Parts: sequence; structure tokens; C-alpha cells
Amino acid sequence: MVAFSLPANSRIKQGKTYRAPAGAKRVRTFRIYRWNPDDGANPRMDTYEIDLDTCGPMVLDALIKIKNDVDSTLTFRRSCREGICGSCSMNIDGGNTLACLKPIEDITGAVRITPLPHMAVVKDLVPDLTQAFAQYRAIEPWLKADTPPPPDGERLQSRKERAQIDGLWECILCFCCTAGCPSYWWNGERYLGPAVLLQAYRWIAESRDEATGERLDALNDPFKLYRCHTIMNCTDTCPKGLNPAKAIGAIKQLIIERQV
Amino acid sequence: MTKQSNNPQVDILRSQLKRVRGLGSSHSGSQAWWAERLTSIALVPLTLWFIASVIGLEGATRADMVAWLHAPVPLVLILCLIVTTFWHMELGLRVVIDDYVHNNAIRIAMLLFQRGLCIIAGLFCVIAVLRLGLWEGGS
Amino acid sequence: MNHDRDGLMVARRSDGRLVRRPLSPHLQVYRWPVSMVLSISHRITGAALSVGALLMTWWLVAAAASESAFATVQEFLGSSFGVLLLMGWAAALVLHVFQGIRHLAWDAGWGFGTLAPQDPVGSGTAKRIYGVTGWGVIGITAAATLIVWIAGLAAWE
Repeated sequence: MVAFSLPANSRIKQGKTYRAPAGAKRVRTFRIYRWNPDDGANPRMDTYEIDLDTCGPMVLDALIKIKNDVDSTLTFRRSCREGICGSCSMNIDGGNTLACLKPIEDITGAVRITPLPHMAVVKDLVPDLTQAFAQYRAIEPWLKADTPPPPDGERLQSRKERAQIDGLWECILCFCCTAGCPSYWWNGERYLGPAVLLQAYRWIAESRDEATGERLDALNDPFKLYRCHTIMNCTDTCPKGLNPAKAIGAIKQLIIERQV
Repeated sequence: MTKQSNNPQVDILRSQLKRVRGLGSSHSGSQAWWAERLTSIALVPLTLWFIASVIGLEGATRADMVAWLHAPVPLVLILCLIVTTFWHMELGLRVVIDDYVHNNAIRIAMLLFQRGLCIIAGLFCVIAVLRLGLWEGGS
Repeated sequence: MNHDRDGLMVARRSDGRLVRRPLSPHLQVYRWPVSMVLSISHRITGAALSVGALLMTWWLVAAAASESAFATVQEFLGSSFGVLLLMGWAAALVLHVFQGIRHLAWDAGWGFGTLAPQDPVGSGTAKRIYGVTGWGVIGITAAATLIVWIAGLAAWE
């Protein structure tokens, strides 16, 4: 049976509290998931009080402020701080999103931050995405064509053909959607998950790719594709406003189209 | 689920690609998915008709049932309803079991049981309806 | 070796010893959008309706079996517990049908998009059609269930 509750070693304990400096005016509380492989303890929620007057507007700004000024042991991934690298994906206030794109002001009350859901935790807010990236590798996300490219130029694509991959190429592989999908929680070993299926569709919809049939063959599987039950969490949570559920629906339609 | 131990050990060293590719695609799954959609389309009108019929048959005697099923339209519609209901039920329960039960022996046992249950209950319904509609007393 | 993910659950500490990694919280922290609520409701009502199908089997088989067997079923279904059961069955069926229609629309490719053009760096402000249809299903289900209940109770008396 699937475990709906957390295993004993993953239950979250109460952690430390770091008070705001005296005289702070706009104080917000951040409750942040902590786990350190070296201390042998269960994960805990540490509480940080931050004066928003001394902090940038986004959740990532608060995390950076905590790391710089309050507690340098806090570990999280970040790079571009403008929603294009996909590093700072995490669960903020119950939804998966990029910390750099999430305004603190959008959240009422204490800001609760945990790693992407149902993942092995490397440390603090850093989940192990090895499996998700291996699944991405498994759908062979590159152009496959038997026709050689024109000797004097690139493979051409009309404007209309190019428009077919709008809403697909923008995916930055932050895996907010995949980690928000209950089907992936219960069957992530076999189900490819929304991010990887959206990428699979990106190559199916690609006019220059000649392996469409093979790609559909590889997906036509009760677990790889059909664990999608249109729960819609993927589309609901995508920080880039993309629509993995729609892409998966399109794959299902194409598989039916060739058999009826 | 693998049992958790306090002495963790690494017993899976295969590459991640080997793990996620697993045994490959079964090249099936679309048929069951498609059948679930087709039966559900049929069930939309049949179900609404059945709800209305059940309301009409509240407190019915056995003679009322016989009279009801002796008309050809209710008899045919309820036969359609029975077949599609149990077919759809089998497909739906299969998805739920596949989602939540990870031990293969238990999963296959449950799949066999639920399929058998659907077939047997469906046959009981069909035969009961045919008996009422075709052979029993009636007008 | 069904649970390859277990291979990810073991890590090495700084001193080289192996340690079990925790699983990050999922249901424990996730905020439920309306579609997620409806999705699990669809599943729960589906399972409940499977039990309802067995009830229908009992009803039909008893009718075919004998006068007295059918009288027993009708008496049970006419009791207050039986009526409660039928009312629950009707509500589950209505929700499953309307949510099922919403699923069919998605499968036909309709109902995924936004009502207004999406904010380019989607902060989730644009109204999503699936949110609207989700609340629509809840509203229609409530109304239709009420109608069925009233019609059923009127016929019962």
C-alpha cells in the first residue's frame, strides 16, 4: 500500500526560533524546514522573524537575508533570482513555486517553506531531483530526424509550426508540477510526471522531429503516461503559467487518434 | 515498501537511467483508458434515466417490476446500463488499485478479485433482468 | 525491485557513514485547489458507487427470485436507513456524472486554459477555466442532488 503519512524518520519536529532584532517594525515569521544529514535527528521547522523593512520583496530575498544575516547553515538552491533558472523551486505556503517569483506580500500570516513535496531531502530545502532528471533523459529530449539537414542551412520551420511549441519550450524544469502531482507522489518510480510529459510533448509537437510515432510508442503505458488522472495540480502550480495537464491531454489524444 | 532499517545500506547501484527506463513501455494502456471514456459517455444518459426510473419505482411491488421490464425500452436500456456500469466499474477500480497497491502479488490478487466480482455481479443482474422481462408472468 | 526510489533515500554523511534521508512532506503541507478536491471526490464516489452497484444487484436478483425476497429489499430500501443510503447513492452518482462530464471535456481538449490572457510570469492571477468549471460542477451537483432528493422523497410519501 501507498503510505499517505510520513515515515518515522521524516516526521517534523519543532525547531529553534530566531527573534527579530529589537525595534523591527514590519516583522514577518518564516517557518522553514530544516534537515541536516550530519546531526542524526529528524527534520524540524525553524522559525525566523524577519524585518521586511530590511529585506527584498520576494520569498527568495528573505531566504538570502536569513542565510546572510541570521543563520548561515540554511541550505537552498538559487541562482538567477528572476524565474529563468528553475533552481529555487520549493513549497511555499502550501503550493509549489519559485521563491524568486513569489512575493512575500501574497502570503497571509506566517510563511511556511518546505522542500518540493514527496522527494528525498538532501539537506534543508534541497530535494534530490536525480530521478526526475533521469526521467527527462529517458524521453530523449533532442531532435531526432532521419532526413539530413539542408547542406547550406538549418532545418526550417514555418511560423505556424513554430507556434506549436509555444507554451512548451518555456519550461525551465523546476519540477514544481511534478512534485505537486499526487500521482507522482504515489507512483513516481513508474509515472513520468507532468514536467517530463510536457517535455515529451514538446518533441512530439516539434515539426522538425521525425520520431513522433516512436515517442508515442514509448509513452503508451499504463504507468508512464496513464497515471495522469487530470488532477490539475500541475497546471495550477506552474510558476511559469504553463499547462502540463493540457500537454498530457494532447499526448493521450494523439495516441487515440492513431488507433481509431 | 522496503522495510526501513536503522542501518541504511546501498543495495541499488544501477544508474538512474536504468532505473527509470525500467522494463520499458508496455505499448498498452490506451485501450483501457479509451474504453473508460466510451463507457462513461454511454453512462451519462443511462444514469440519468436510471435515477428517474428508481424514483418511479419507489415502493414498487414485484408485479410492478415485472410490468416495468416487460416494456422493451426499459429492458434494453437497463441491459445497456448493467453492462456499461460493471465494465466502467472494472476499469475504474483497476486504476485505483494500480495507483495505491504496490505489492505485485496483492495487486494482482485484488485485480482478479474485483474483475471477477464485476463479471459475476453483472451476470447476476443481466440474468435477473432477463428473467423478469422475458419469462416472469407479465402482461 | 519495485521501489527504485529507495536508492535515493540513502545518503552519505560528511564522515562517510550512511544515513536515511527523510521524505519531504506532501499531503501534510499541500494546499488543496478545488480541482484536487474534486479529483479525490470523483474517486471516492466511484468506489462508493461500486458498492451501490452491488446494492442494485441485490435489488434486481431479489426481484427475479421471489415475492418475499423482493419485499425484504423494498422494506430495507424504504426504511429510514435505506432512504439515507439511496440519498447518498444519488448524491454520489450526480457528482460522479457531472465531474465525469468535466473529465470528458478535458479529454476532448477543452477546459484547460485561462479566461483572460495569462500573466507572462504567471503569478496565478488569471482566472483558470478549470477552476470555474470545478465550482460549476459543485454548484450543479448541489442543485441536481437537491432536485433528485425532493423528487425521491415526494414519491416516497
